[in-house]
Amino acid sequence: MEVGQMQRRLVDYTKSLFMEGFLDAQFLQLQQLQDESNPDFVVEVVSLFLDDSEKLLNDLTMALDQPNVDFKKVDAHVHQLKGSSSSIGAQRVKNACIAFRSFCEEQNIDATLRCLQQVKQEYYLVKNKLETMLRLEQQIVAAGGSIPMIELGF
Amino acid sequence: MELMKSSDNIIQDRTQQQHKQEPEMQAQEGQQEQGHHFHVLAVDDSVIDRKLLEKLLKVSSYQVTCVDSGDKALEYLGLLNNLDSDSTASSSSSSSSSSNSSSCSQSSQREGLKVNLIMTDFCMPGMSGYDLLKRLKGSSWKDVPVVVMSSENVPSRISIRCLEGGAEEFMLKPLQLSDLEKIEAYLLKSLHLSCTNIDKDDDDNNADHNSDNNNDKVVNNDSNIDKGNNSTSMNNNFSKRKALSSEDTESRRPKIKGLAVAI
Repeated sequence: MEVGQMQRRLVDYTKSLFMEGFLDAQFLQLQQLQDESNPDFVVEVVSLFLDDSEKLLNDLTMALDQPNVDFKKVDAHVHQLKGSSSSIGAQRVKNACIAFRSFCEEQNIDATLRCLQQVKQEYYLVKNKLETMLRLEQQIVAAGGSIPMIELGF
Repeated sequence: MELMKSSDNIIQDRTQQQHKQEPEMQAQEGQQEQGHHFHVLAVDDSVIDRKLLEKLLKVSSYQVTCVDSGDKALEYLGLLNNLDSDSTASSSSSSSSSSNSSSCSQSSQREGLKVNLIMTDFCMPGMSGYDLLKRLKGSSWKDVPVVVMSSENVPSRISIRCLEGGAEEFMLKPLQLSDLEKIEAYLLKSLHLSCTNIDKDDDDNNADHNSDNNNDKVVNNDSNIDKGNNSTSMNNNFSKRKALSSEDTESRRPKIKGLAVAI
């Protein structure tokens, strides 16, 4: 596949992520911050997010598995995950966290367990999407092309 | 130490000059080579937010130091285990403008340490942003502007409390390039205060590396503001999002009265 085709495929793919709500404008901000002096900025931030989130999801799973759930602790973890997903533009994860927090406030164990599943699902979805997108970018760069900037009218 | 820092800044910023969103780099090159940069201390427990903030600040040509807690911030500023005092012997001579407590060249336990702005997350484990703010305002660093950030829609009683505690502003995360323009205003304001002090003292003007650059920075205000405007135009795509957030926050961000920018 030649570079032009790859670039078009990347643009279409990235746009779909925005259309489907996986990513929001904050992700565009990250891309805009990337430059020649730091060409791996987005990759680095995404990696940080993925590592951080895996850890938080593990912590959440453990915290909700306790006989006496400490909802304050659960809420603190969700707050962190909400913050990081918001900072990276992972919109659906962020929204799932917002819902999660309201159930933490209610100390509703069933609802929070469902929320955890929901957040995990959204996380794995966006992880998959981001990794696919970054792989496409890598392929373009490896073929000597440049990564096209996405411009969306929000 | 100041001179070494300056050359580090030059090296750092040469790489930033390739940034495609800063067409004004040619004009600013002269200014940067004088080696004066605002130094921002960023405090946030989130590794992602630290990385993001660091990038935003570096893209805006600021020197950045990131720490992950209020305690680390105090330690960096030399405020832990110490009485907060301007009169420590080690902070005299070589560090600039020791005669005035301007925010541009704050004498401290760490010789030559200059911090022009502190940006801190509000919600942190251990020492909160508010606690850090209070500690700073009760210390020799009290004249350094402090901006508090939060990812939450924080109730206004909390944001007002921070403003009453001496914070310049309460900002919503995630920060954007457009938010950096406001930060520039606080930095220039602090510069204006220190420049009025410096003008009174001719010796400082000659001997002081920093104050020379301070004067130059005042002269070059327009290019700084322009840079800020360029960032805004780059963010046209986000205009709707920006508008939304400013409407949402209008009620939560009490206006800062009397913000005098030295233009």
